Amino acid sequence: MRNSGFTTEPCCKAGPGNKTRPSSVSTGMKGISVADDDNRQRFIAIALPHLDAAYNLARWLTRNDHDAEDVVQEACMKAMRHFSGFRGDVVRPWLLQIVRHTCYSWLKENRPAEVVSFDDSADAWPEHAAPAADEPHAVAQRKADRALINQAIAGLPIAYREVLVLRELEDLSYRDIARIADIPIGTVMSRLARARGLMQQALQPGARPVLRTVARHAPHTSVRGEKQ
Amino acid sequence: MNTPLDLRHLNAFLDSELSLSEQLEMETRLEQDAALRSEVAGLQGLRSTVRQQADYHAAPAALRDRIAALAGAPPVSTAAPTPQRRFALRPAGLALGLVLAALLTWGIVPRWWQATHDDRLMQQAIASHVRATLGQRLVDVASSDRHTVKPWLSARLDFSPPVHDLQAQGVVFLGGRVDYLDERPVAVLVYKQKEHVIDAFIWPTQEAESPMRASSQRGFNARHWTHAGMSYWLVSDLNQDELAVVAFSLEHQDAGDTAR
Repeated sequence: MRNSGFTTEPCCKAGPGNKTRPSSVSTGMKGISVADDDNRQRFIAIALPHLDAAYNLARWLTRNDHDAEDVVQEACMKAMRHFSGFRGDVVRPWLLQIVRHTCYSWLKENRPAEVVSFDDSADAWPEHAAPAADEPHAVAQRKADRALINQAIAGLPIAYREVLVLRELEDLSYRDIARIADIPIGTVMSRLARARGLMQQALQPGARPVLRTVARHAPHTSVRGEKQ
Repeated sequence: MNTPLDLRHLNAFLDSELSLSEQLEMETRLEQDAALRSEVAGLQGLRSTVRQQADYHAAPAALRDRIAALAGAPPVSTAAPTPQRRFALRPAGLALGLVLAALLTWGIVPRWWQATHDDRLMQQAIASHVRATLGQRLVDVASSDRHTVKPWLSARLDFSPPVHDLQAQGVVFLGGRVDYLDERPVAVLVYKQKEHVIDAFIWPTQEAESPMRASSQRGFNARHWTHAGMSYWLVSDLNQDELAVVAFSLEHQDAGDTAR
């Protein structure tokens, strides 16, 4: 199941030089001299239309505009370099896989605390949010504040956040999500279920303090949340 | 009931990711189990809330331009869509789908889409025309000989545009250049009449044959038509009537070419 779909997998594994570089991103023209004109034209025509998806994922993973731009740019450079090797039929998951990998490398360098290796079994449903029995629709019917929703997603642990964003905002299939996040489909299922459970918890009235990581890295979203 | 396994299945059911038999089995269970139903309703509510309200971060135009530039293309951000809401609720989506299908059948959407598409193309064509005249870089290959210009263009493009010099019509043929339009490299034939520069953008298209249409924007006039799998856009500050003469003679020459 792992690494099934894309023949260019190695390009994301051994990103040249991203071990030694801290936060700066190789933006020089040097990197793409390898890619020939034909490649670049193809890249523009085929991959660039998915730039919004790339940025959306990077933005949700880094939770910061500037970092997301850096990451997406670096990911696109990588993608361009390896575009000739792309043989799959769908570009979006392929590009998102590279973006996701670049995000994780970047976070490991710059915010290692956020990407501690994730153990699904350790997070074994300690307090599943069984919706209050009398009000099952509470979450749905609440006029949920936009900022609150954003805050709740941003507050999810990254492993849950990525599957939720890929599923709900990019509308990708479990299969594609499994490829992008490099996990089995069964794990996609359980992480998604857990992510939604955590979201329900977070969106229940008066339950907001559950998500404590929000204020640290996304102060801009927490301000708006106070409105209502 | 609320074991993790059930929740996983409930979520997969919601996402239509169960196998058909599992999906049917779940539906039967839902009919009998009110608690399960309310759980699904809760998840559905959450799902639509997230889809409708969570921010979708579209790539900033500057980033798009930067990456396009790194890939060796001129800025494309003007044509970049900024999708905010990509999905709707399932039932709403179904209804929307039906309405869209109806519109498509009646040809309303194609016409509307064509109109905005043409509008955008014209803006791009005018921008290219203005850039060329401002920058004094009207042509990459300066020659009035179409047998020089055509091979020069073919060598740089993935198609070979029809090239005509229009001398008989009193139009000066200045040469050609390659530009980037409609998200692809295109051929530009450059003519001049009475100090007015006329740019003819030509590129292959999947669109059906369409008769000549006139339009104008910001004082620039344009003529557009499709013939023999090629899309034509003429842009100039020449008045609409004189541009029409040039356009018709070009179209006529082309028609002659393909008939031959």
